[in-house]
Amino acid sequence: MIAVLGLVVGVVAGLLVRPEVPAVVEPYLPIAVVAALDAVFGGLRAMLDGIFDDKVFVVSFLSNVVVAALIVFLGDKLGVGAQLSTGVVVVLGIRIFSNAAAIRRHVFRA
Amino acid sequence: MNSHDETPENRLRKELPEEVPADGASEVVDAPEEQRSELTGRQRLAKGLWPPRVTRAQLIVAVLLFGLGFGLAVQVASNSDGDSALRGARQEDLVRILDELDDRTQRLEDEKQGLEKQRDELENSSNQAEEARKQTVEKERQLGILAGTVAAQGPGITMTIDDTKGTVEADMLLDAIQELRAAGAEAIQVNGVRVVAGTYLTDSGNSVSVDGNKINAPYRFKVIGKPQDLEPALNIPGGVVQTLEKEQATVTIERSDKIVVDALRAAKRPDYARSSSQ
Repeated sequence: MIAVLGLVVGVVAGLLVRPEVPAVVEPYLPIAVVAALDAVFGGLRAMLDGIFDDKVFVVSFLSNVVVAALIVFLGDKLGVGAQLSTGVVVVLGIRIFSNAAAIRRHVFRA
Repeated sequence: MNSHDETPENRLRKELPEEVPADGASEVVDAPEEQRSELTGRQRLAKGLWPPRVTRAQLIVAVLLFGLGFGLAVQVASNSDGDSALRGARQEDLVRILDELDDRTQRLEDEKQGLEKQRDELENSSNQAEEARKQTVEKERQLGILAGTVAAQGPGITMTIDDTKGTVEADMLLDAIQELRAAGAEAIQVNGVRVVAGTYLTDSGNSVSVDGNKINAPYRFKVIGKPQDLEPALNIPGGVVQTLEKEQATVTIERSDKIVVDALRAAKRPDYARSSSQ
């Protein structure tokens, strides 16, 4: 419950504050958000499986974000930033879908 | 779709249980082991949501989710700002977009030039057509005066031949017309009959026929031309006026600044003669 509250408060804060995103972070923010979403879905699924662990969640969340940003950063430096970020989004999207499928089975038993 | 989902899912399912016993054993989670295994996923979700419990795990997850929500909202907000659609783009993308815009501008510019050229050509040709049409109309008027198909007006003279004795014959009128033409008459009508190139005069009893139209005395000539030339040409000694007066006819000539020759003649298409200029 507190976690859900945290998410809601974060969205509201982001909409209310509307901070200027620094130019350096700008290309990485969308990828980081997608990576974090992947971690959240993984965590939700783990909770439904009864194997949720906060430490694993924290590590996977942060490492997901960092690795995704790193890949995009590296891609930018190599000149294939657009393609790599597309690749990252595709992979994370597939993972999100598979996790969502598992969550669906738990919640709806279907 | 589902068969595709199975592979990563199965791999995850293998991976996670390996990690959890190591971490989960040291970190004791809120629910007891035996109770957790009995619960279904749905029950666990409901239990996690209500009642709200302040545990370390919940707090940490809340903080992370706060960050996620914040980033999500910021990103969505900055993306939905219309003018900053290009702000998040990479340099190479911007360069590509700029190139595409340049190409597009170039293409449109070329197209514009082509269309402008076409427009100029059309305008020129329509101007030329207009000019040609004007000239044709002008020529038609001039030719119409000669052919007698349009009315004409201008300075000239009026000559009235009063023939009380009936002695005036066609050849005398023809002489008068010849003399007027020689003096530069441009349009002539006699008693409402236009005199043109093909006009013929014949005697018919006491009077005269012009192009088959019988006319009676007094013969009124309306002539457009230079009055100063026309009048002396008729009055020269041994000329038209003297000849007519010898025949007991009276001739009066009046100069006028405005003579209207309004007798018309239908344009007739020649049956045999064709223009050889083409």
